[in-house]
Amino acid sequence: MTFVPNVEFKKKLLDVHLEDKIKYCYQCDRCTSVCPVAEATNNRYNPRTIIMGAMLGLPQLVLGAEDNFKIWGCQVCDTCDEKCPNDIELTEIFNLVKNISVQQGTAPEYYTMQAKTILENGKAIPSQSAIERRRKKYGLPPVPKCNVDEIQNILKQTELDKKLKYKWVEEQ
Amino acid sequence: MADSQEKLLFPGCMIGNRIPFIEASARKVFDKLGVKVLDAPFGCCPDPVGFQSTDKESWLALGARNLCIAEEQGKSIVSLCNGCTQTLTAVNQKLKHDAHKKSKVNSMLNSVGKEFKGTIDVYHFVRLLKEEVGINKIKETVTNPLKGLKIACHTGCHYSRPSEIMQYDDPFEPKVLRELVAATGAEVIDYEEEALCCGVGAGNAEEDVGLLVLKRKMDSIVKSGADYIAVICPSCFQQMDGNQRNLQKKFEQEYDIPILYLTEILALAMGYTYDDLNLRRHRVKPKALQNKE
Repeated sequence: MTFVPNVEFKKKLLDVHLEDKIKYCYQCDRCTSVCPVAEATNNRYNPRTIIMGAMLGLPQLVLGAEDNFKIWGCQVCDTCDEKCPNDIELTEIFNLVKNISVQQGTAPEYYTMQAKTILENGKAIPSQSAIERRRKKYGLPPVPKCNVDEIQNILKQTELDKKLKYKWVEEQ
Repeated sequence: MADSQEKLLFPGCMIGNRIPFIEASARKVFDKLGVKVLDAPFGCCPDPVGFQSTDKESWLALGARNLCIAEEQGKSIVSLCNGCTQTLTAVNQKLKHDAHKKSKVNSMLNSVGKEFKGTIDVYHFVRLLKEEVGINKIKETVTNPLKGLKIACHTGCHYSRPSEIMQYDDPFEPKVLRELVAATGAEVIDYEEEALCCGVGAGNAEEDVGLLVLKRKMDSIVKSGADYIAVICPSCFQQMDGNQRNLQKKFEQEYDIPILYLTEILALAMGYTYDDLNLRRHRVKPKALQNKE
């Protein structure tokens, strides 16, 4: 592992915080000591290390090239955010790092599959006829249909399709 | 900012399209309590764990689009799900306080004829029950006090964390769910790991890690002597209800604690039965409630 700081990468991560709070991290390790995933995996997922890598501009420490669980272990339970003595919103940084991982094609399948489902249906769990029948039996109204065209229009503007390397039907 | 008008119901993808018996119990409870809700053509909230981690910009834009739908009708949102509540609350707050982000999102929304203004509020149904209905009114509707039911409470993460954004209840010692469960006459059971996550998020990346987190939670509840677990989030419900069998297989330990949605607990206390509420749809069936009148 080479330890050459990547300035662009560092800037991108530091920019997440308009107030630049990440600079106040003194590596006290409280984030890791309260993290249920670090506990369950003997620190294979370690939030403190991600923050250190972000501060130093070392994507090798952050992006988990050899093991994507090193970033995707974060389950956004917001426990570290809450316990950080310097009010660093760690989860915000982890989200950005995960977003980069998605674009590099190293995200776990669950995440990219869910995003593709939303891109295609406007919902993470699309309506199914068996469930609609069950809803009727329970006296529930049908699930209101959402405007998928409108959602796809917005997601083309955020370029989610490109970020996921998604092929629209007409392109296939 | 409390408003007592009718609200738009945001059941979320998971409750609406996978476990609709929970939505049915919520509507029964709302009817009894005089809470008026309307339906609206919302899209995915979208998921604060899955979709935000995948692309934050898309998450913000789709969340804002849902808020616009409510703003157009001049009504606040009541959500049945922690995740939807957190996404919609966070997006609402971020855009209200960040003019740069707001104009960026609005330039996208404008092309579909929408504009985020920041004029409505987002409620978790627990907050609505506490603030707008009130514990006393709930007690008045209890016709079948749940005496003898020992219930452990699990609020889940996104109901009150991050506290800076959610600004409701306590991030590690939430009290409102306990108060609402106690209002039915049930006994609220303390346990050590009450603030711990259910583990569903870690399971998205690696199933076994999610199970390890769940095990820590469940072991603590087993030790407490609780007979049921009250939840207020469909992801927690599915993780805790659906994975007890997997825990059993993996760790060769018995787990048999039914998970009840708060709305199911309230509906039982209001006189609805096991059959009325389709409780047989649970993976861990609350069989002891079957003949309870």
